[in-house]
Amino acid sequence: MLETPVSPIPADSVDLPATAGQTREVESSAIFWLLAVGGLLLVAMGWFLPWFVEPTANGIGFSPQDVVSSSPTGVGTVLVYVMGAAMLALLAGLVVDAVAVYGHRGRALRYEGARAVLALTGVVCTLAIWVLIGLSHEEPLFGALSASAQTDNAVWMTLTGFAICAFAYGLRPWIIRHTSVSLAGVAFIVGGLVPYIFNQSSDFISWAAGSLAIYTLLGLGLNVVVGFAGLLDLGYAAFFAIGAYTAGSLFGSRHGVHEIPFWVIIFLGAAVAALFGAILGAPTLRLRGDYLAIVTLGFGEIIPDAANNNLFSQTGGPNGISGIDRPGFGHFDFGTDYRYYFWALLILISLVIICMRNLERSRLGRAWVAIREDEVAASATGINTVSGKLLAFAIGASVSGFAGAFYGAELGIVTPEDFRFAVSVTALTIVVLGGIGNITGVAVGAMIVTFLIFWVLPHMTEWSTTVGHTTGITQLSTVPYEQYSFVVYGVMLILIMLLRPAGLLPSRARKVELQTGMESESLAAVRGTV
Amino acid sequence: MSLLEIDHISKRFGGLLAVNDVTFDVGDGEIVSMIGPNGAGKTTAFNCITGLYPVTSGDVRFDGVSIVGLPPHRITALGITRTFQNIRLFSFMTAVDNVMVGEHSRMHAKVWDAILRTPKARREERAVEGHALTILSGLGLERYADMYARNLPYGFQRRLEIARALASGPRLLLLDEPAAGLNPQEKNELMGVISHLRDEGLTIFLIEHDMRVVMEISDRIVVLDYGEKIAEGSPAEVRNNPRVIEAYLGSGATTQMHTARSTPLRPANPADDEGERPA
Repeated sequence: MLETPVSPIPADSVDLPATAGQTREVESSAIFWLLAVGGLLLVAMGWFLPWFVEPTANGIGFSPQDVVSSSPTGVGTVLVYVMGAAMLALLAGLVVDAVAVYGHRGRALRYEGARAVLALTGVVCTLAIWVLIGLSHEEPLFGALSASAQTDNAVWMTLTGFAICAFAYGLRPWIIRHTSVSLAGVAFIVGGLVPYIFNQSSDFISWAAGSLAIYTLLGLGLNVVVGFAGLLDLGYAAFFAIGAYTAGSLFGSRHGVHEIPFWVIIFLGAAVAALFGAILGAPTLRLRGDYLAIVTLGFGEIIPDAANNNLFSQTGGPNGISGIDRPGFGHFDFGTDYRYYFWALLILISLVIICMRNLERSRLGRAWVAIREDEVAASATGINTVSGKLLAFAIGASVSGFAGAFYGAELGIVTPEDFRFAVSVTALTIVVLGGIGNITGVAVGAMIVTFLIFWVLPHMTEWSTTVGHTTGITQLSTVPYEQYSFVVYGVMLILIMLLRPAGLLPSRARKVELQTGMESESLAAVRGTV
Repeated sequence: MSLLEIDHISKRFGGLLAVNDVTFDVGDGEIVSMIGPNGAGKTTAFNCITGLYPVTSGDVRFDGVSIVGLPPHRITALGITRTFQNIRLFSFMTAVDNVMVGEHSRMHAKVWDAILRTPKARREERAVEGHALTILSGLGLERYADMYARNLPYGFQRRLEIARALASGPRLLLLDEPAAGLNPQEKNELMGVISHLRDEGLTIFLIEHDMRVVMEISDRIVVLDYGEKIAEGSPAEVRNNPRVIEAYLGSGATTQMHTARSTPLRPANPADDEGERPA
């Protein structure tokens, strides 16, 4: 223990965070179990469902059973058997280990080496099957596997689940050491496979590209403003609109500009949104909390209204801007295939997340936390609170500008009604629900909120009609479920505030801040310049 | 030559003249204390110097240059930093992060460096973290580096505030009641720290209620009462100044004081001296 003349306090008189390491270990093994069990569930679904469900032309048409029965000696069959054996061995290991872990808390899992070998075998088989399916449609490889069956739900579920499982199992110590990297890696791979896993359901993919991915971006951007810098913004949809209108005007038939590539346009959209972020930020610098929320709320209303009134004859009024070009790479056109938008957005989201994590740990990120915690002390410590807040607004808005540019390109049209208050509410709900200031939390929040609002609600009519027919309650088919979206937001927000006020996955600092109810006064108020 | 010149500053809040035409200066390398009863305008004067309050009239010059009207972060960058009477650490940042915030004005990473985590930014982060740890060890705080500031023992929070203030590399350090709430042992250590900082070339200007601390370390003392400067001079001069005794103990005390010279001067409100520790 380092003791200098000026610190004569004995070591044992202070409660040092000696348990920090242990807590981390527990959290990380929770992630391990999540991955292992989640992966196994996916495997089970993909593997075993087809044995019970009658294959149909449109539904689950391919199963390991088919492979085995149609070509008992094919390479594919061998791979499937090896993979199955490895999977069963790992499953047995999971049971044994679960028992062992319950029996002796904190004890390390056994047969680390054997598990690693099994996992490696599984991964190699999985990769081989992927490659074979991707490259070859020939009968001997997979027996009855046809061109349409190669993209079957069951196969992709099995393969993905197995990969996750093998990864979790074989590399447990590594996962515990690199929690966020492994989570991000798995999320990226699973995300990339979503269009394959759900290839039978095109509206699921359009939901994933049009709602999930877009709102994840919006949540990530709003998180900079609300989470990092602590500035409540209720008009975030305005920047989304600005990005969409900028890109829509530049990229399409409206101004006949077809030369600028889409990948340049999205940056223009982001830049214009950032500029407006700074423009909104400037007059609101001296405001905090409720007052800031009201100003941003107003801004969020002004922008769609201005667009609705055909501002400078550039926004097309209520009809918006249509005929937006479809993006692509060179001669390859995305067209209306949502899979490509989804993949492009997945890459964009990954890049944004990397940038956000960099920001969080940078000079600027520290300045934001300092401004959020105590603006007066921050300025006395040498932080320019004016530029700090403006940068938060601008960076937050620019992410939303990216989202807007993609949104317009996906739909081919932008109208003022796409950017109403509901968009701001959704983005804010995502951030609050997921965990203010936590990037992973925002991603999780986006999944939950967009799933409920943009997947479950629109499908409720369909489902309840079916239920109504079978039960004879015909009224069920006429309930306008989609009108209840604000009820869902309200219930979600009330529940989260009652049960987990810091969000599902709170950032550690924000959790304590909320518990102690901290709110510092603004520098402007202290200086008397309000 | 004087490093800080306070030239006839006044600060008015509506009908209240909190600081009234105060003039004094702080010489390079000096330790100057400002004392006065509660509500005398000491902290207000501090806030005027550091730019938290705009002065109503008068001028503040640092190293010969007027700093009136500059925003607080510019004044910090010029070389004046401060601590606060009621500790204002960033409670939910670790101690080392608090000090790294203090280095903000010395860092050069731009927005793009922050977003892309460029090699330049990484180098700077590493250097700044190293420097922050050096400052922490200099004040005996190295073992608290990774703790949240709010979890530090009270006396160490006061010290961490000084560490944060030192991080920007100031020439003038303003300490607002650094001894408040410290026990006698911690007060001794504090005095050690202050003299040590002065020996390293820093100029120190402090507000303090604890007369033992003030009398022991100050080169000069400025006394405020009701916003006005009522005395200035060496500890011995101030101790025997009738106006100072009157301000603290009321009129009529002067004669008694002169008969009992050895009685140490105490603040009007003894509770300030003991300073209750927050839970």
